[in-house]
Amino acid sequence: MLSSKRKMKEMAENLAFTLPAFLLAALMIYIPFIMSGYYSLTKWNGIAKEPKFIGLENFKTILIESKDFINSLLFTGKYTLVFVVFSNVIALALAVALTRKIKLANFFRGVFFIPYIMSMTIVGFIWKFIFSSGFEQIYKATQWGWLNLSWLGDPKLAFYSVVFVGIWQQLGFYIVLYIAGLQAVPSDVLEAATVDGANGWQKFFRVTLPLLGPSITTCIFMSLTNALKVFDIILALTKGGPGNSTYSVTLQIYNEAFTSNNYGLGSAESIVYFLFVLVITQVVLKIFSSREVDL
Amino acid sequence: MKKKMLSALLCVAMVASLLVGCGSSAAAPAAEAPAAEAKEEAAPAEEAAPAEEAAPAAEASDEPVEIYMFISSPEYADAINTLIEEYKAVAPNVTINYETTQNDYPTLLKAKLNSGEVPDIFSSTSGMEIDTYLDYSYDLAGEPIATAMTDSVAAAMASTKQGGGVYGLAIKGNWFGCVYNKAVFDAAGVAYPTTFSELESACEAISATGVKPFTTGFGEWWVWKHLGQHFVSAAAETAGISTGELVEKMKNGEAKISDYPEMYNDFFNFVDLAVKYGDDKPLECTLSTEEAAVATGEAAMMIGQGAWVEGDCLAIDPDVQIGFAGYPVNDNAALTKVVSGSDQALRVNKDSEHLQAVLDFVNWWYTSDYAETWFNDVAGVVLPIKSDAVSTFEVIKQGSEHAAAEGTADLAISYDTDSFHQVFGETMQSYVAGTLSKDEACAEIEKQWQAIDGAAE
Repeated sequence: MLSSKRKMKEMAENLAFTLPAFLLAALMIYIPFIMSGYYSLTKWNGIAKEPKFIGLENFKTILIESKDFINSLLFTGKYTLVFVVFSNVIALALAVALTRKIKLANFFRGVFFIPYIMSMTIVGFIWKFIFSSGFEQIYKATQWGWLNLSWLGDPKLAFYSVVFVGIWQQLGFYIVLYIAGLQAVPSDVLEAATVDGANGWQKFFRVTLPLLGPSITTCIFMSLTNALKVFDIILALTKGGPGNSTYSVTLQIYNEAFTSNNYGLGSAESIVYFLFVLVITQVVLKIFSSREVDL
Repeated sequence: MKKKMLSALLCVAMVASLLVGCGSSAAAPAAEAPAAEAKEEAAPAEEAAPAEEAAPAAEASDEPVEIYMFISSPEYADAINTLIEEYKAVAPNVTINYETTQNDYPTLLKAKLNSGEVPDIFSSTSGMEIDTYLDYSYDLAGEPIATAMTDSVAAAMASTKQGGGVYGLAIKGNWFGCVYNKAVFDAAGVAYPTTFSELESACEAISATGVKPFTTGFGEWWVWKHLGQHFVSAAAETAGISTGELVEKMKNGEAKISDYPEMYNDFFNFVDLAVKYGDDKPLECTLSTEEAAVATGEAAMMIGQGAWVEGDCLAIDPDVQIGFAGYPVNDNAALTKVVSGSDQALRVNKDSEHLQAVLDFVNWWYTSDYAETWFNDVAGVVLPIKSDAVSTFEVIKQGSEHAAAEGTADLAISYDTDSFHQVFGETMQSYVAGTLSKDEACAEIEKQWQAIDGAAE
């Protein structure tokens, strides 16, 4: 009797503490999510007062009839792959360098972190300026051919420009995470490896890297979600162009809903994308966390 | 693990919820109630007005009224602020909250409409979008403003659905065509061409002097609609139908681009020529690049622009000699015409709480003694009101001369929405980038024309 009363009290306490947060989350996330689920079954331009119910027609359009969504999905996939691989490899390499006892290590940590503090949109506009006017001026001075390429105007190059700026902006964040991870690697294990006769490379790949498991999982996961959500940097740099060669899924959804006035279709795309992201992130998370090792 | 699952779930939920925040129609009924009150208030004022003008006006001026004006075209922000200042002297009780933005205006407007916060005055494009926002828009046909408006502007404000009406007003009339640097043409010893073969030889002569004949602006999607419309109306003229009919056929899928040589051959020939004699990186060229190139004499002609660039060019070089004419379509010189009309519309919210105050304001804007001064000297735009005054701007002056001599081409862009125009621009960018061939581009344009604008009707 007494224990059940206490349990009741605990329950009430738990409820009281979590309810405000839950209500806010429901108001801002879950309810709009359910509403967009409804809109995805309608034909609505976002302006008319009454949406028209059309069932699963929108999903048929997205997956079978129209290539736009599939194309943007391919672009986002390509972007994500390149972004995750490069941002993590480069960040890890720089983190290792910056944990060495070199002069100005702290200064460089700051330098690498600054782009991350800046807004994506501002970074986008800065790089747009560099790619067009900046490169042009340097080309005039140096005559290096690669500077004269149309980095934002050529559909193939535009992809690399976008990925490059994305990585450049986000790098600092992953560096910080990796530095924290590296500093947590116990020095006695490394010393033991030295005593056992391991060289620098062996120490890194056989000892440090496995012990970095949790950091790697976090960084991979963060970079994965950030890459899948990519939006503002593309909007600022290329607006999806030239042509439609740099449309990410988020930009495609935005354009479908707000520019092309197909709010229903846009909602349907965001539902499909939600499921896609859900599956991808869970699979990746599972793979990486199963490989972590504990001391 | 559970925690991670949860955080992962939340992460993806956030991704998905990024785009779902704006849907709410619940506020719509709430907005209707005060509107009914406003109408009741407005009715006695209207009745009393003819009998005794001064008294009801004085009565009304006691009550403070706020008008929320949310419009695009930030380039006229200074001018509109001056207008609002001036209106304070006329109606001291009326406060006009003016807000403007260029980027993503339609998105912001939609968010406001759906949250029930309908601005008293808002913008859309003219022509087809008049119908898109019809539910929210007041018909100005019976108002003094409608009679003050020029016919070409009034025509752009009519609703196809309602078969008429005046569902908006314009900040400006407009001129579209080729803006060029006269000094560059003089230096090359050629006159502005009126046929396509003349244009080709002009390009050769100009590039021989070391100047780029064209700056294209092909990086901007809207440059394409401004350029394309000349060829669409030329096609309609040659085919002997109205531009509206031609566009209607394209939307219904009854016609193909290849049915009209002006669109299928001449337009693409022009684009090819512009790319050949144009910027090194055409798809990175934007409005500001174009203005700088022509104003400094680095390029001779800019594509897809009109009356609005002159001020900027003069700011770069006050002595620049601006020329303005239509694009040579093919070897029929009669098709080389400028385009005139209004592509923007300011709409009055028909359910506005202070409808009468808003109407008083827009009527005053167009019909007061200050109106002409404002349009000519403050805003420096093509007059949207009937007037005999002559402009000091070259584009407007030469545009009027061309109009008097050769007539003007139809404002073809007003028959389509910007939703379609954006896709059209992107498709043409792909053509310039070489990812689409001419026939693939045409097929894509035909498809989207039906899918976006055909379906919207």
